[in-house]
Amino acid sequence: MALTGRTALIAALGALFVGLLLPSWVGIGAVTGAVLLAVLADLVLAAPVRSLRIVRGGATTVRLGDTASVELTVTNPSGRPLRALIRDAWAPSAWRPGTAETASRHTLAVPGGERRLAVSVLAPSRRGDHHAHRVTVRSLGPLGLAGRQGSHHVPWTVRALPPFHSRKHLPSRLARLRELDGRTSVLTRGQGTEFDSLREYLPGDDVRSIDWRASARRHTVAVRTWRPERDRHILVVLDTGRTSAGRVGDAPRLDAALDAALLLTALATRAGDRVDLLAHDARKRAAVIGSSPSEILPAFTNAMALLEPALHETDMRSLVSTALRMAPHRSLIVLLTGLDAAPVEDGLRPLLPLLTKRHEVVLASVADPHLDVLAAGRGTVEAVYGAAAAERTRADRRHTADRLTRHGVTVLDAPPAQIAPALADTYLALKAAGRL
Amino acid sequence: MTGTAPAPPAAERAPGRPTDATPTSLAPTGRGLARRARWYLVFLAVLLVAAVGIAVLNRGHRYPPIDPRSYDSDGAHAVVALLEHQGVKVELGTDPAAAANGADTLVLPEPDLLSPAQLRAVAAARHQRLVLIAPGPAALGVLAPGIRAADEAGDAPFAPVRGTQPGCSLPEALRAGSASTGGMLYTSGSRGDGCYQRGHAYPLVRTPSGGGDVIVLGSGRFLRNDELAGDGNASLALGLLGSQPRLTWHLPDYTAPVAEGTPHKSFGDYIPKGWHWALYQLAVAAVLAALWRARRLGPVVSENLPVVVRAAETTEGRARLYRRAKAHGRAAEALRRAAAHRLAPALGVPLQAGAPEPEALCAAVAGRLPERPAADVRALLYGPPPTDDAALLRLADDLDALERQVRNP
Repeated sequence: MALTGRTALIAALGALFVGLLLPSWVGIGAVTGAVLLAVLADLVLAAPVRSLRIVRGGATTVRLGDTASVELTVTNPSGRPLRALIRDAWAPSAWRPGTAETASRHTLAVPGGERRLAVSVLAPSRRGDHHAHRVTVRSLGPLGLAGRQGSHHVPWTVRALPPFHSRKHLPSRLARLRELDGRTSVLTRGQGTEFDSLREYLPGDDVRSIDWRASARRHTVAVRTWRPERDRHILVVLDTGRTSAGRVGDAPRLDAALDAALLLTALATRAGDRVDLLAHDARKRAAVIGSSPSEILPAFTNAMALLEPALHETDMRSLVSTALRMAPHRSLIVLLTGLDAAPVEDGLRPLLPLLTKRHEVVLASVADPHLDVLAAGRGTVEAVYGAAAAERTRADRRHTADRLTRHGVTVLDAPPAQIAPALADTYLALKAAGRL
Repeated sequence: MTGTAPAPPAAERAPGRPTDATPTSLAPTGRGLARRARWYLVFLAVLLVAAVGIAVLNRGHRYPPIDPRSYDSDGAHAVVALLEHQGVKVELGTDPAAAANGADTLVLPEPDLLSPAQLRAVAAARHQRLVLIAPGPAALGVLAPGIRAADEAGDAPFAPVRGTQPGCSLPEALRAGSASTGGMLYTSGSRGDGCYQRGHAYPLVRTPSGGGDVIVLGSGRFLRNDELAGDGNASLALGLLGSQPRLTWHLPDYTAPVAEGTPHKSFGDYIPKGWHWALYQLAVAAVLAALWRARRLGPVVSENLPVVVRAAETTEGRARLYRRAKAHGRAAEALRRAAAHRLAPALGVPLQAGAPEPEALCAAVAGRLPERPAADVRALLYGPPPTDDAALLRLADDLDALERQVRNP
């Protein structure tokens, strides 16, 4: 049961009646009794809530930052018309910030025996699965004084996928890829790239690429053309341990890493390479193996939607052995993890030879731009100590990166905005150099 | 975000979803309600039983002081029992205006609580003896004309209660001898007879009035159960209260408003009579408004919030540790290494294990900046650590200046 403001207003206006006409307990009793009687009549005449049939439909996935429409079909099997205030309850992060109160409320009128549609527009602000909580219906009586109230449990899940902000970098990288590919007019000659075909020498071609044996067979000078390797295997390994939980700017490191992984995947898939995904902390969190090129991005975003940084140390031994099992042949292993001295020195470095023995390894880490702000601090004692601490941290990261480089690992340390294009460029450079 | 549109065809629904036939209501059934309310009901029953038990065990009633029904140490049941033993018929009354029933004594413990009309009624009732305990000026003026409070005559208004010799001709006082008297003090007036003198005033005054007399007592302390056995208190009490065959003990109504002083008019007194009821009706409306606002449209939905750990937190912690430990040396070392690391590529000095050779770097700086003394540059980059905060600040600024000069000579 629920009252409305109208009830209180009528009771307040009743004060005039009591004051002017019947200043006694009788007057108060008459007014209050009449109000309560009307409330009772409203409650009796309101459409029942319990027998309503509510069914959901609509979107089940949404890219973070977009909106998803979820429909509620309310069927009123009773003979009485339903005038209802409906609240479609979801967790606050499912709504656009600040609009949870208004966006979740619907006013709906459903004549007896019919059904109507209410549409809730969700705009999730957090990655992952958002579950519908419950649907609360307040069915008002014909006088609008009181209503019956009850809840229905109508489950629904909307998955918020990673936003893939870095897809704006994709066209420029694809253009570079086409240059590598030889599909544009620029011909490249790289060591170790695959032999494509022979063509006639044109002024400007590198004389080192002239194929003398073929030239001897024909009457013109022939040059070899090359194209980059195709059908290489790339394994993207996401470390979701505690180092990925640190907030850089407004989002955890993991979000920037996911973005970079998506750009690399989109690029590599277009370049004809196969990409697999592994997310690991103390145990395997997600793995996507052998998706076809058309399904790979949806598969990756779906798997990434549920990844959350875990607040414990990554088990590097387990991570490396899982990665090796997923990459039986020579692959490019892209490790998205932190560059903090302790976990890398103790956990990863002893195991690196296992990876670098057969595979090409790239380690990408999200740097914190706040360190640069701290390092530039001058003027006060506090700021200078902050600068000293920041320089110390940066020196430690550099030191760790240097040691990894000596093991033959390509190390990337870039702030969140640049990590995705930087990783794509590294991939293109490796491909051009034929190191895949 | 409200949309009203015809429903989509049922075929669009995915299999496994609740269909129109599946009830989804969360409204509790009668049985579920009973199960949920079970422990609340048990708790309520226990609370009720405990409350009743405590009420039964604690039935003792607190009486005000000098109440003839009270067995407490400050009650006056003992004196009433003694009087009844002497054959005096004791009655307890709440109506001071009741007419005298033959030869009797009326005890008024708090005469000031009576209204002027009631006081006049008492005076008109013509009791044989009237005993006033600590009366104020209003009661004195009506019931014992001629007697005034001592402070009106310029004497001390109070005296502590203690054993005192009577020093007067009142037969009851003479028979009792020393008694615990005190409290408010009164003048005896022209016809009165004051006893147990304190200063120039008396805690006990008898004055004839009409056919009988009026006894004014400064304090009823000697009537109390715990005081009655001391001195001549019992004798004095029996003498004063037991002179007549009947005794009426008035029980003051402590809830009555104090009669003296002008009544204070509150805001409510200016509202016309009938509108008080309208106010009550407004209160009813307020209750209804509270019920309206209190009903939520469903429960609050909670959210699992992510842990927020800023990535730079450890670095900031390290900065605070440096500062607290006054680690000038370490801080300067970090700044110098960073400056050297930035200078080396700008000057084309190779890095060995992440840092340039000191000699090579100093030589390169000297080559780029011939006007700066070499020893000065060397002291800045590889000199002794600073000893205080000011030196550290200076070092940081000097390193910045050197970097600027190297980049733009």
